[in-house]
Amino acid sequence: MTLVDVSSLTVRYSGATALDGVSLSLDKSEMVALIGANGAGKSTLVKALSGLVKADAGRVTVDGRLAQVPEGREVFADLSVDDNLRLGGWRNGRRGRDTSAIYDLLPALGPLRRRDAGTLSGGQQQMVAIGRALMARPDVLVIDELSLGLAPLVVQSLVDHLRTLHRERGLALLLIEQNARLALSLCSRAYVMEAGRIVLVGDAAVLASDERVTAAYLGGHYE
Amino acid sequence: MKYLLLAVVVVTLALPPLLPEKQLAVYILLGLAATVTAGVSLLMGYAGQVSLGQAAFYAIGAYAAGLLSVHGVPSLIGLLLAPVIAAVAAVLLGAPLLRLRGHHLAFATLAVQLILLSLLGQGTWAGGAIGLQGIPRLSGLKDDIGYAYVVWAVLAIVLLISRNVVASRAGRALRAAATSETAAAASGVPVGGYRLAVFALSAAFAGLAGGVYAFYLGYLAPGSFPVLLSIEFVVMAVVGGLGTIAGPVVGAAVIVLLVQFLNELGTQPGMPSYAPSVLSYAVYALLLIVAVRYMPKGIVPTARRLASRSSRAAASPSAELLEERA
Amino acid sequence: MSDFLGYVLTGLGIGAGFALVGSGLVAIYRVTGVVNFAQGAFAVIAAMLTSSLLTAGLPHVLSESLAVVVAAVVGVLVGVVAIGKPGTDPGTSLIVTLGLGVFAYAVEIVLWGDQPRSFPGLSGVATIGGARIQAHYLLIIAVTVPVFAALALFFTRTDLGKALSACASNKYAARVVGIDVRRMGLLAFALGGALGGLAGVLTTPVQQVTFDSDVTLIVNGFAAAVLGGLTRPAVALAGGLLLGVTQTLIAGYGGGAYQLEVALLLMLTVMIVQAARTGPVREAAR
Repeated sequence: MTLVDVSSLTVRYSGATALDGVSLSLDKSEMVALIGANGAGKSTLVKALSGLVKADAGRVTVDGRLAQVPEGREVFADLSVDDNLRLGGWRNGRRGRDTSAIYDLLPALGPLRRRDAGTLSGGQQQMVAIGRALMARPDVLVIDELSLGLAPLVVQSLVDHLRTLHRERGLALLLIEQNARLALSLCSRAYVMEAGRIVLVGDAAVLASDERVTAAYLGGHYE
Repeated sequence: MKYLLLAVVVVTLALPPLLPEKQLAVYILLGLAATVTAGVSLLMGYAGQVSLGQAAFYAIGAYAAGLLSVHGVPSLIGLLLAPVIAAVAAVLLGAPLLRLRGHHLAFATLAVQLILLSLLGQGTWAGGAIGLQGIPRLSGLKDDIGYAYVVWAVLAIVLLISRNVVASRAGRALRAAATSETAAAASGVPVGGYRLAVFALSAAFAGLAGGVYAFYLGYLAPGSFPVLLSIEFVVMAVVGGLGTIAGPVVGAAVIVLLVQFLNELGTQPGMPSYAPSVLSYAVYALLLIVAVRYMPKGIVPTARRLASRSSRAAASPSAELLEERA
Repeated sequence: MSDFLGYVLTGLGIGAGFALVGSGLVAIYRVTGVVNFAQGAFAVIAAMLTSSLLTAGLPHVLSESLAVVVAAVVGVLVGVVAIGKPGTDPGTSLIVTLGLGVFAYAVEIVLWGDQPRSFPGLSGVATIGGARIQAHYLLIIAVTVPVFAALALFFTRTDLGKALSACASNKYAARVVGIDVRRMGLLAFALGGALGGLAGVLTTPVQQVTFDSDVTLIVNGFAAAVLGGLTRPAVALAGGLLLGVTQTLIAGYGGGAYQLEVALLLMLTVMIVQAARTGPVREAAR
């Protein structure tokens, strides 16, 4: 059952083409990775999925709720953690803004609930951003750069949380990552993007051993 | 383009003797407004700063010339000192104020004008709220036609200076600074110094116009320099086109003539007594909003772009600059 | 001593007016990034309208409340013109609101003429600690303090208030979670209009209003707000009260003619010190 369907999507920013005929799909409860270098168009795709940029051609269909964890986390720095979470449920109406379930899912946030989000560490902020996105009760979570700027241990704990959410709630995930090794180990399928196009798609395990991928994205320093 | 300029020069020089007295006054005030606006346009277009207090420097020039001549200084010297004094005031004020940007600077310049008006209103040395009276006429100038030519010359000088500034190294540097101040500063451009220089120059333009105004009218009062006057100069600069040479003249002409026309209309029999002021406020407001909204580059660059589009010439650099900032 | 107390209380009353105008500026600036130059016009319109409604025989409180509501609506209209077109940068919006402020002159003169207007407020004189002051100043304080308390509760305790703060904190993130940033901007303009209107209806009985009173109001309001970097309503309240008390004390002890100068110099000093601390380039890059 297809949850997200992007077909031949083209987006241009004042003349420059950011996305050039991109097609991508995501099934219910599927974990999919999107990898590629800086400027490949990944973030534009994320914005298109959330309706924050308009398509110049092609279309985006989302059958269900989509929530986004934006690149750079983008928490509301002067608001408390609890208020950040509450606003994540903005679309749900007043009754959908109870935050207690999030503290059960992400217990680390509990002691921080009164702190201003801007005073937290990067990993804690990423947790807030994920919690905020979960407040929308999404069917699919789009995470733009999960690991950027975070310590490996922190990333590992976030990944564990995501695995749990996937297992227990059937949450689908589209993970945009520069750390291809991380993305390919977490997800079952992956797309590789270059210069605004999808250049490779396939099973994550297969891609992880694909020469082109290992050469470009799994370079020596990971080994 | 050259022929157009020549035609404008010929027509404006031929006009004063042909105009009836009332229209001659409009001619003079239009020229003075264009002179002040030339400075505002440089300031906004090249230093990227909104001044809501330009009438303060107009007032400083006017009062400087007026006070000097009332105390026996020859009028010509008073006229020459007016822009100097205004520029010195601008340097003294600008040194601290130009650290501010955007709306902070806008309010700061507005505050400076309010302080000046209040001081002038209370200073007996300046004639207080009643005003400074008995300013002699410029030596050798008996009638208004003479003043019309003085204004013409003043405006011509101001526009020539503007043109040279725009083409100068400092002008190019400021244009670069308006796009990225950090980058310009990093590449060794003394942005702060140039910006202060433009501020002082724009004040000098206003001061010079103020000096002519003082001798032309013969009396000055704080009420002649309301905050609204500063706003009018901004309207003229924006409508004409920021950072262009012809923009201030076109902007001042469009607005002064339009307001004059509406004034005639508003004083027709049967119109309520408030009609002239209401009409002029409405015109300033609507022109400003429409210009900023639908023609952010102003009349001159827009017209030039339309013209160059048909002749397939490249757009002027200043139009490009404003396009980026708009 | 009783003189001093009298001046302070009067100053608090006047300062409350500045604080209301200033907090209106803050409400709009935080959410939209626009310094609303038409802020003083809200006060003038509400004051003029109140005088008309009272003349027409409507009772107090109702007249004032209606005028504040109308000011809020005018606020939305100003907002629509100032930020309605997507992608308008705040600098352009400032010029647009400047134009709207001048446009308000035209409307005000047509509707109410160009003569000063006033209307009676709370009459009588109160004696506090030996100081005799006009009771209306106490009314201004008595209304302003709860309004600010309500404002604080609104921003920190309601989801709508939090959403407004969210737009102020991070517009992009606000869009990500589905907050309509433009609609929040218009709401902020409504709030700014109501606060400006309230300032107008409260202060007019002790300070008559003319169509161009807006310049003094906006400058004092800006001075009150700039102390908190235009983003903190509580600081705008403190700044407004400080400004009011300073002005009254100067006036009371013989410097009456120079009270505006002092307020303006205070504002300039605050801004220059702030700029020296944060550096001018940072703001230009914003």
